[in-house]
Amino acid sequence: MELRRYIARRMIQVIIIFFVILTVLFLLFRWAPGDPVSMMVDPDMTQEDAEILIVQLGLDQPIGVQYFIYIKNFFTGHFGFSFHYGEPVVDIIWNRLPNTILLFTTSIILSAFVGVFLGKIASWHKGKKTDSLMTIGALVTHTLFLPWLALILIWVFGYKFGWFPINGMISEEVWLDPEAGFIARAIDVMYHMVLPLFTLFLIHFGAYLLIMRSSMLETLKEDYILTARAKGLEEKVIRDHHAAPNAALPVVTSVGLSLAFSINGGALTETVFTWPGIGRELVSSVSQNDYPLALACFLMIAGVVLVSNLVVDVLYAYLDPRIRY
Amino acid sequence: MPCMNAKQRRSSCRWVLILACATMLITGSLFIASTASAANILKMGLLQEPKTLNVWRASDRWSRKVVGLMYQPLYVRDPETLKLIPWLAAEPPQFDEKTLCYTVKIRPAKWSDGTELTSEDVAFTARFINEFKVPRYRSKWNFVKKIETPDKHTVKFYLKEPKAIFVSRSLTTPIVQKKEWTKLAEEARKTKKPLKRLLNEKIKRPVSSGPFVLKEWRQGTFLYLQKNKYFFGTGKKIQGRLLGPYIDGVIFKIYGTSDASILSLKKGSIDMFWWGIQPGYIEDLRANPDIELFQNEKSALYYMGFNVRKAPFKDVNLRRAFATLVDEDFIIKRILQGYGIRMYSIVPPGNAFWYCPDVPRYGEGLDREARIKKAFGILRDAGYTWEVPPVDESGKVVNGEGIKLPDGKPMEKFTILTPPADYDPHRAMCGMMMQEWLRMLGVPAYSKPMAFGALLQQVKVRHDFDSFILGYGSLSLDPDYLRNFFISTNDKKRGWNMSGYNNPHFDKIANESASAMNRDKRRSLIWEMQKIIIGDVPYIPLYDPKLIEAVRKGRFTGWVQMLGGVGNLWSFCQLKPM
Amino acid sequence: MLASFLEGWSIFRQNLLGKIGLVLLIIFALMAVCSYIPPWINPMYNPMTGVDPAITSCTPPSLRHWLGTDFMGRDILSQLLAGARIAFMVGISAAVMSIVLGVSIGMTAGYMGRFVDTLLMRLADMIMVMPTLLVVLLLSAVFGQLSIWTIVLIIALFRWPGVSRIIRGQTLSLKQRPFIEAAKVAGASHFRIIFVHIMPNVLPLAFLFMTFRVTSAIITEAALAFLGFGDPGTVSWGMMLQWVWKTGHMFQAPYWLLPPGICISLITLSFYMLGRAMDEVLDPRLRKEDQTD
Repeated sequence: MELRRYIARRMIQVIIIFFVILTVLFLLFRWAPGDPVSMMVDPDMTQEDAEILIVQLGLDQPIGVQYFIYIKNFFTGHFGFSFHYGEPVVDIIWNRLPNTILLFTTSIILSAFVGVFLGKIASWHKGKKTDSLMTIGALVTHTLFLPWLALILIWVFGYKFGWFPINGMISEEVWLDPEAGFIARAIDVMYHMVLPLFTLFLIHFGAYLLIMRSSMLETLKEDYILTARAKGLEEKVIRDHHAAPNAALPVVTSVGLSLAFSINGGALTETVFTWPGIGRELVSSVSQNDYPLALACFLMIAGVVLVSNLVVDVLYAYLDPRIRY
Repeated sequence: MPCMNAKQRRSSCRWVLILACATMLITGSLFIASTASAANILKMGLLQEPKTLNVWRASDRWSRKVVGLMYQPLYVRDPETLKLIPWLAAEPPQFDEKTLCYTVKIRPAKWSDGTELTSEDVAFTARFINEFKVPRYRSKWNFVKKIETPDKHTVKFYLKEPKAIFVSRSLTTPIVQKKEWTKLAEEARKTKKPLKRLLNEKIKRPVSSGPFVLKEWRQGTFLYLQKNKYFFGTGKKIQGRLLGPYIDGVIFKIYGTSDASILSLKKGSIDMFWWGIQPGYIEDLRANPDIELFQNEKSALYYMGFNVRKAPFKDVNLRRAFATLVDEDFIIKRILQGYGIRMYSIVPPGNAFWYCPDVPRYGEGLDREARIKKAFGILRDAGYTWEVPPVDESGKVVNGEGIKLPDGKPMEKFTILTPPADYDPHRAMCGMMMQEWLRMLGVPAYSKPMAFGALLQQVKVRHDFDSFILGYGSLSLDPDYLRNFFISTNDKKRGWNMSGYNNPHFDKIANESASAMNRDKRRSLIWEMQKIIIGDVPYIPLYDPKLIEAVRKGRFTGWVQMLGGVGNLWSFCQLKPM
Repeated sequence: MLASFLEGWSIFRQNLLGKIGLVLLIIFALMAVCSYIPPWINPMYNPMTGVDPAITSCTPPSLRHWLGTDFMGRDILSQLLAGARIAFMVGISAAVMSIVLGVSIGMTAGYMGRFVDTLLMRLADMIMVMPTLLVVLLLSAVFGQLSIWTIVLIIALFRWPGVSRIIRGQTLSLKQRPFIEAAKVAGASHFRIIFVHIMPNVLPLAFLFMTFRVTSAIITEAALAFLGFGDPGTVSWGMMLQWVWKTGHMFQAPYWLLPPGICISLITLSFYMLGRAMDEVLDPRLRKEDQTD
């Protein structure tokens, strides 16, 4: 009962926050000095043309009216038309979302797994060379500047060695060939995914390693570990069966909390590798003053972040009754 | 010995997974290597994805490049003479002065869906543009009062008033199929904002009258256009050129950066990169035995503009002095690395018919010292003084400081707005150099790079600037823009007269040139307009960059060079696989 | 005060990471200071507008230009030094601003409690959850063009929540202490209590957070500049990377590609190490235990 009320309260909060963000951003955009029409530098477009377009795009109406139209459309599932593509924003996002999810979730899972694995080993060899090496390694890779790392990887592995494609998600030879089946296409995507995945992985696994390591060190001091040792169990068993699962919990929660950080990284990676995802769409739509698309992309991302925070909070509350208040 | 426990099972699972991934990667790369590409398909690299294939919406150059292969106009330009020649039309238009009527005969042609292209389609296109006020085309058709189609292959256009641009701008509008757009037009009429409805329509299967038609568009990655078997030009000789297309199709691959595209070109994954090659890459590509470079001129203008509405730029002497200081040699040799030509007039020299060679040439042939002396002379005679004059009593050139206006007040700092360095390094650098050259004269100039959108906003909409460096990458061959840039009626928000130039004499001649139907008469007017403008220099023309394009040798031959590059309609129609 | 400082220093000295971090930071600070030297020697070394009469394209390192020149012929080393200056300026300003904001809001929330507390903390939640880079990106579209100081301000506006939470917690516990009660009885205003009595006690914690704020500010500015949304008139490391990327020299010019990225990564690393070392100084629990396991 308590839990349900907590969930309900948090959900309402999330919805309110979402709409506050939407309103604030909407107003900011409408007040923005730049308009997309003036970006069209075509000597063929006269000022009459520009004015006609402004009316057609609805940019001439008072802000209040525009806002209400937007909200009304929002609830009926119309998120507006992109100024630049002329397509419904929903279509564009729908097209891009799977690509981002694919890259993003794979990278998080990979970094988390490897980070936990290595963190566990590092804590076990605390103070020795292995530990120092891993800790320093994690620290160094975690502080690398992501776009720069991406460029270096492209340069070395894409250009100098030519092992991987230097950008994009698919090669048209494979996708145009009517005989290529699903497997061939999947392999093609994975082939393109290696470098971006590796970039994201390298940046993020260090954090998980360090968290797991300190978490393990804490856990190893617990009484039940002492008991297990007294029982005469093998060290490896103690480490992997008793300590690690409990130590891994903070890592799981930190994945959720560091989502904002990972999303930034995701957007940068997509842009450098021209991976057709939402992050990259956001960046390019912003630079073209394509407000509906930029706003929608951002709201999508904000929504995802809010929802995942909600999930993490609920999970926490479920596992630890003290937190609900 | 115990059988595998949970942990061992987990670790062996992990190894299997790793092994599986490795296998897939290896086979995948082999697979991709072995997939042969069809021999006769041309692969072109694009820097950005076309936004749309809706011909009315297509405003960005990428959309227009692709759309231009499908929707064809009545007249196009000959690659060598640049004269307008009949394309969808069968012969040059007949003009009747008394009724202000143009009669155009249409060639027998078909659309890509097999139906015939008739005068109905042409009339429909023009009426559509007028009814819905389609931007970019509206101003070229709104003076047409009546359109008649006496038979399936003849169209008569009646103008309200004589307009010189009708043949060169209106008759080069792409023609669309009536059947493709009728239903949509009806739907749009019922809505409150018909134009918006039309512009937002996604055209999935454009009906083409050109050499190619869209087969597949995978968003974000590529477009595939196939040969249009109904293309009217196949097998015909137009202007002495036997047209194909001889290739089976074109794949446009989208690359986010020039780097990626040029790398692909070197590797052989594409046959041509449809964008200018920056000077940094040229040496490398020139040395490559598999790559051929083409050099063409562009109909483009890069210039420095002033806000002549406000002081001190109101003073024409100041502008002339600044024009004298521009070191054209430096710009062409050093900034453009030799890949550019000097611009003396607003009209590029490549546009030979309309270009006026007889305009004032400030600072030409002078070295730096001579230029400073000359500029100094112009300003001194106009009443400007200095704290430290750039030319001292003995006639020696020194660093000038603290210029003062004729009324005695020191000149205030002013900015030269330029696009950011990564957007256009040449313009940014020109800004920097102008700053240095002006400072040598004691003029407090500051070059300020600005985000492009914000720059346009300030210059075009708010008119809140001192000076700027901008450019037009592709000017039409018809010089009507000369009128648009400087006529006083265009000095409004978002108007094309950004400098605020106001000269009633110019206005009069400009309007005359717009309705001069006789080509030679119009030319003399256009020439006079150029002389006036360069005399008053509201814009200082800086340069016209050359276009260098790279093509892979050994696959296709028959690229046609033309003003604007080899990626033109003629090339596409004449390319043959080797 | 002095005794505890000396004690802290001796603990700090034992920490290898902290020492490395400090040394690196000093190197960067020197770089920032030295950035004024090259233009003074010769105007052609000006990072933004310096034009070498002999060179207007990308060239490898030479005697004249120790790190070579960029695509416009400007000296890369001067750009690198200027970037250090910008990095410190951006990092420290943004950090100071966000700390000031975070401390004030945190103290107010903790002290006032009830409605004000809830409101402020909800606001903090909302802001903390957003990916800063993307928000600043969005805002740059709204403003059209961001100057370096606007960027600093916006970064600071999105970074205060983390600090404020901790400060709030501290304030909550301090609120109950006798000396606060005494001040209230003496008739001190709320304002006075917050800023004169509570603040000195929360400041050390605030300073700890500053190191992390600095790194995130530097990285955010670098990422923004990299994507093309920075201030085009400022030479920062992120801007240098953007130039090398967008002008297509990343394959040909490692001497241009490598230094800015290395600098950003190293300065981040050094602040991080410094922060960890300071963490140990301030929080006894984290100090390195005996070598025996």
